[in-house]
Amino acid sequence: MLKKMLVGIVLGSFLLLPMLAGAQEKYPTKAIELVVPFAAGGSTDVLARLVAKYAPKYFDKPLVVVNKPGGGGITGTEGVVRSKPDGYSLFIGYGSGHDLVTPHFQKMPYDPFKDLLPVCRLSIHSIVMIIRGDAPYKTMKELVEWGKKKPQVTASVSTKAGSVDITFQAVGKATGLKMVTVPFRGGAESVTAIVGGQTDCGGNHPSEVISHIKAKRLIPIAVALENRDPAIPDVPTFKELGYNVVAVGSVKGVAAPKGTPPEVIRYLAERFKKVCDDQEFVKSMKDIGQPVMYQNPQEFGKFLKEGFDQYGKMIKEFNIKLE
Amino acid sequence: MGEFLGMFQGLASGFDIAFTLTNLTFALIGAVLGTMVGILPGLGPSATISLLLPLSFKIGSPVTSIIMMAGIFYGAMYGGSTTSILVNIPGEAASVVTCIDGYQMALKGRAGPALGIAAIGSFIAGTIGVLGLTFVAPPLAEFALKFGPPEYFSLTLFGLLMATLLGGGSILKGLIMVVLGLLLGSVGLDPISGAIRFTWGLHMLQEGIDFVTLAMGMFGVGEIFYNLEKVLKTELVTRKVTHLWPTLKDWADSKWAVIRGSFIGFFIGILPGGGAVISSLVSYAVEKRVSKSPEEFGKGAIQGVAGPESANNAAASASFIPLLTLGIPGNAAIAMIFAALLIQGVQPGPFLITEKPEIFWGVVASMYIGNVMLLILNLPMVGLWVQLLRVPYSILAPIVVLFCCVGVYSIRNTVFDIYVMGIFGVIGYILRKVDLEPGPMILAFVLGPILERAIRQALLISAGSPLIFFTRPISGALMGVLILFIVLQVFFNIRQKKKKMNP
Repeated sequence: MLKKMLVGIVLGSFLLLPMLAGAQEKYPTKAIELVVPFAAGGSTDVLARLVAKYAPKYFDKPLVVVNKPGGGGITGTEGVVRSKPDGYSLFIGYGSGHDLVTPHFQKMPYDPFKDLLPVCRLSIHSIVMIIRGDAPYKTMKELVEWGKKKPQVTASVSTKAGSVDITFQAVGKATGLKMVTVPFRGGAESVTAIVGGQTDCGGNHPSEVISHIKAKRLIPIAVALENRDPAIPDVPTFKELGYNVVAVGSVKGVAAPKGTPPEVIRYLAERFKKVCDDQEFVKSMKDIGQPVMYQNPQEFGKFLKEGFDQYGKMIKEFNIKLE
Repeated sequence: MGEFLGMFQGLASGFDIAFTLTNLTFALIGAVLGTMVGILPGLGPSATISLLLPLSFKIGSPVTSIIMMAGIFYGAMYGGSTTSILVNIPGEAASVVTCIDGYQMALKGRAGPALGIAAIGSFIAGTIGVLGLTFVAPPLAEFALKFGPPEYFSLTLFGLLMATLLGGGSILKGLIMVVLGLLLGSVGLDPISGAIRFTWGLHMLQEGIDFVTLAMGMFGVGEIFYNLEKVLKTELVTRKVTHLWPTLKDWADSKWAVIRGSFIGFFIGILPGGGAVISSLVSYAVEKRVSKSPEEFGKGAIQGVAGPESANNAAASASFIPLLTLGIPGNAAIAMIFAALLIQGVQPGPFLITEKPEIFWGVVASMYIGNVMLLILNLPMVGLWVQLLRVPYSILAPIVVLFCCVGVYSIRNTVFDIYVMGIFGVIGYILRKVDLEPGPMILAFVLGPILERAIRQALLISAGSPLIFFTRPISGALMGVLILFIVLQVFFNIRQKKKKMNP
């Protein structure tokens, strides 16, 4: 009996030894925080929680979602920027309005490109133009014809000078309509306004309107991406319809603070890729109107820079100011 | 008729689902948790639901997790009145009005009846709300959609007028506080132009001052500062307790207030955004107007607790209507439930009732049961809470401050908000010293941003013409009532002055 135990202990310590030695470098050794810089219940939050739900299959430690809302996303992101670059505090939602649009208007407490390292892109929330199901126009062409006879065409948008607002200024210019954007407090309120017929049309992300599209209360008429949005593949792009309106929308990726070791970034990018390849995850994401569109760190970094410059050009062109 | 029968069948199947042991247990957990977070200042239902989201995946069944979350939400409405009455701290915006007469009742030793009537009123209103949810949800949801910016402007203007008259004291003092509240409400991003206002370069202020932070500072911390000097001189009046339960007379006084409050709350509560707050205000104003002794209001009138507390509970049930029938979340807590459903692969909206009837009816049925549970839970607690007032103030006050700090911190996980609360505590203390009522200020703070957005959105839609407020039927009717109200008020005032001059 004693002998058996002794053998057991010796064997056990042999097994444990490499684990103890490796513990110092083997990332991750504890739960990884996914910081959502927006309120719980929003689209980025839902995305983060879905990722966290599927993560245990592919990550060695759990992902924990933490909401740090405030300052239009800046507060929570700044928290990640200032945190220890050890890969345990990540920012999810990299590529949202406060990364691509806000820096064109105001001084930031950090540089969204120099102080953050791209880990991967998870999804894109494209900008889709919607009208009410019982509107007197059913397509983009009919809306333009209808609008030309009116003194103005109103469009509900989520916030002033956000990506949707800027894109709709571009729609106004491309179509020759007098487009008046009516800002609401966030996507949910602007959807309620268009569902209630308060405005002539609206701009939203598919995740915000997909249930209303299914219910035929709303009709999507055009998408502002370069190519069609996989979440709503039947809807043509503005380009297909002959209007030069292209915007990257609101990009949803993951970022780590500057100085995070490359092997940690590699681990994360690899594991997030596995989550993105999970067919069940892909289906859940499609159901909520957030298509999975993975990009690795290099592609994602380049993509973000292009998106940032694109908004900068539009803001300059339409002379959008906050005052 | 067939439709009606379908509803009863649906409800019956819903009770089958709600009465399973698992669902009953989770409804109870929700009700208990809800009551607790309602009582703890700062920790609101939306924060609790977000903490419990991961647990809801573990539960697995969407019905069960939504039953629990709904329980937290309406349970918090029961608990919300407790701190308003006992220590003058409104847990959420809809309980601000309860502070006015509820706290006065407690000072007069009538904390028990105030708490009791709040619980009973909440039960009746909650049940009326769920009945409405069962039978008239879809058509009412359609009606709520008709509320656009012009309607919100007219309704909020009405609410603001009520807030001015709320203090019971002079209209001038009410106006001062309302203007102060409007100013504080304008801190942060300009909703229409996007410009940054009054933030002194602080990003933390960019989304404005948080309601809970402001309310706990002005009411809770301010009240404690104020009491500190009193305690040195005399014992606090709150120590004496006359009745534990509402008397028959209390009940007779407040039964109509409860019924009126329930209906006001239900109809205004359907509107997404601000519905519960405005309904509690309207209910208070209505009670004061129909009362034979309006001078009692502000000094501990039981109707001033019964009406608004019923209204905010009915509004809580009603706020499920836009969610379950249209897929539109009306407030932060409902938005969390919305997200929880989405993550579990359930799309709330017009198809919910046909595609997933077990969820719709299961949740509705559980709300009937939940309300009964809450009544049973809350009534015995009244005695316990009243005992709390016997705790020496030197012990109670620091505990309340501690809870306020934890609560405020938990909203956004930052220490910054605790400092902000401290500053408002000092302001609240000064206001009390110069005899200014903080109630109208806080309400204006909540309503101001809604009002500002609505008027500017409406004018964008109408290309600048103010006629939009009068030509749209609902807005026009509201404006009509508003004007009539002001004219009558002026008329009565003049008549009263004349009476005084030549008796």
